[in-house]
Amino acid sequence: METKEKTLYSAIPMRTWRWLGVNEAYVPDDIPAADGGEPAGTVLRKTVAAGESRTETLVYRSEQSARVVYEVEAGGTLHLTKVQLLPPDKGHVDALEIHVAEGGEAYVTIAELGASHTVTKVRIDLDGDHAVGDLAAIYLGSGSQRVDLNYVLCQKGRQTRADMQVRGALMGKSEKIFRGTLDFRKGSKGSVGREREEVVLLNEGVRNRSVPLMLSGEDDVDGHHAVSVGKMDQEKLFYVMSRGLDLNEARRLVVEASFQPVLERIADGDLRAEVEQQIEELIADGK
Amino acid sequence: MEDLTKKKTYVADVERTLYDIRDEDRSSYKTAKGLTEDIVRDISAKKEEPEWMLQKRLEALRIYHQMPMPTWGPDISALHMDDIVTYVRPDTKMTGNWKEVPKEIKDTFDRLGIPEAEKTSLAGVGAQYDSEVVYHSIQKELADQGVLYTDFETAVKEYPEIVQEYFMTLIPPTAHKFAALHGAVWSGGSFVYVPEGVHVDIPLQSYFRLNAAGAGQFEHTLIVCEKNSSLHFIEGCSAPKYNVTNLHAGAVELFVKEGARLRYSTIENWSRNMMNLNTKRSFVEKDGVIEWVSGSFGSHVSCLYPASVLHGENAKCEFTGVTFSAKGQDLDTGASVIMLAPHTSANINTRTISKSGGKATYRSAVKVAPAATGAKCLVNCESLMLDNDSRSDTLPVMDIQAADVEIGHEAKIGRISDEAIYYLTSRGIDEKEAQAMIVRGFVEPISKALPLEYAVEMNNLINLELEGTMG
Repeated sequence: METKEKTLYSAIPMRTWRWLGVNEAYVPDDIPAADGGEPAGTVLRKTVAAGESRTETLVYRSEQSARVVYEVEAGGTLHLTKVQLLPPDKGHVDALEIHVAEGGEAYVTIAELGASHTVTKVRIDLDGDHAVGDLAAIYLGSGSQRVDLNYVLCQKGRQTRADMQVRGALMGKSEKIFRGTLDFRKGSKGSVGREREEVVLLNEGVRNRSVPLMLSGEDDVDGHHAVSVGKMDQEKLFYVMSRGLDLNEARRLVVEASFQPVLERIADGDLRAEVEQQIEELIADGK
Repeated sequence: MEDLTKKKTYVADVERTLYDIRDEDRSSYKTAKGLTEDIVRDISAKKEEPEWMLQKRLEALRIYHQMPMPTWGPDISALHMDDIVTYVRPDTKMTGNWKEVPKEIKDTFDRLGIPEAEKTSLAGVGAQYDSEVVYHSIQKELADQGVLYTDFETAVKEYPEIVQEYFMTLIPPTAHKFAALHGAVWSGGSFVYVPEGVHVDIPLQSYFRLNAAGAGQFEHTLIVCEKNSSLHFIEGCSAPKYNVTNLHAGAVELFVKEGARLRYSTIENWSRNMMNLNTKRSFVEKDGVIEWVSGSFGSHVSCLYPASVLHGENAKCEFTGVTFSAKGQDLDTGASVIMLAPHTSANINTRTISKSGGKATYRSAVKVAPAATGAKCLVNCESLMLDNDSRSDTLPVMDIQAADVEIGHEAKIGRISDEAIYYLTSRGIDEKEAQAMIVRGFVEPISKALPLEYAVEMNNLINLELEGTMG
């Protein structure tokens, strides 16, 4: 039988021991490659003009692959929401790249809920002084899903602010790798970076890998990252179930409460309701 | 325009004068440079080893030649094995009497304070000079209780059944290229065996000194703590500076049996031409405890990540480490914990400081196996950068395969805050002392884990001569 060669899609900025299996991410098997080896799919390039405030939404329902690049000019503001609701037999791969000029702001909200195998990378370069990058994401792994995230917030300008929060839940036999990097470049004086990940493990049989990198070539920065991984808070669960809810309903409520800070950033009410519905169905399925 | 120029704190390099005094090379025998089967056979023959050990060396050599160089971590391209002398025998035999140690070698250990510490605060001492142990002692009361503490060559000959059971089982030659190198050319090191129920209340210490230029040191340390025993073992190491690359690729294998407790403390202060590619691992059984206290100050490049395999239920690991990386240094340090059994727990607490272009990397792995239900692990790493020429990176990985766990990780990076300096100076403390207080406070979790005299040594190493330079 012929074995398909894996196509490298992303890697962490600084490699570590191979036995951990977190250095690289590969393109899912069912996504064809275009010329040059990149996954076939849409390529979008957009500019948020100086002083402009723009809201953008990317929803993946059938399209499996895309590469999206935004240039946020000085003083511009981008509010970008990406929701991935692909069917469970499809792979997903995408790259999101944002460059933020002086005083610009990029607010990115991501929900990864579908697909059999998700491989995604986000890179936000805070190129200008006082630039802001704020990335909030949720994922819910179920069945035999594999979720592979590689997020990088790179702080180059002075007095930039980066914030990355990722909230996830794993059930069934799902596996997830989250690589989150705060990269303070030399010259990013006065910059602040925050990264936090909270993972709830809903049953035995799941696998969670967390790789929170913090790189610094600048002393005058304030960086902090934190990761918390564990089972569902038993006290919360007991409290909710004592009000007459069954286990799945209680789990849904607790997961939704955990996801709430990210869900409420989805400005489109219909899309948000659809995301909440998807979460509810996945948890009710219980696999 | 806003002035972003901040006041700078200047922290002097680690004071090295004491450690950089080099003796004339009066070795009685050296192998040729490089690594060949003939050299490995030669080392084994010179040590009059049993055949089984020679075969282990040759197997490790075969693996060494097959294994690739690491694809991660600091640049070690300056290391050329063809230029390294792997075995340097000093012109003396091992003794239990300092008076019988050649004056030049004894003077070196006197300067390092080893004989004095032996009188006041140690229950046993091993002193290695280049490739061989030149002095070894243990208090009679411990020996009477069945505690074994010898150089490793003696252990191979006198306790072969214990050595064969454990030697390079935790760090097999296949672990990585430098573990294989170690297996081929190991020399010297310490062997400790603590019988069931015996508590060694006063620490044992081995000190490793590499004097020869262009040489490697490959000592092997094997410690077995039987059920419900306890031990504190201290390892020190240093070398004078040369303008050629020296190599340290030691191996430390620690076996902590049911209910036993082992504390392994290291103050590493190799010279700035040293490639320190050392491997340390522990295997901890039910209710056992391993405590690592690790100070990394010297060497040009260090790769050091003590690993703990928590194999038995309720086994525990405590890791406390400090790394100080200054000009010309790339110190890549951290820890790894493999949690295999229910209710295992680990606490990793590190501090790194970088200055004058030094690079400090914290690298770690926490792996929780599916069987490790109820596992708990807390990792805390903090990095302090003292100037803008340095680097500080943290690269932790958590791999969790059990759901009923509590795993937390927290990391911080930054500089000495102006607010803290302002607070202290506003209370009458001068700026220099305020800065020193902050750095001492930063490393306090580590210094308080050391016995007093070693905490003092660490403070001396840090040698905080703050000059309060502005701009």
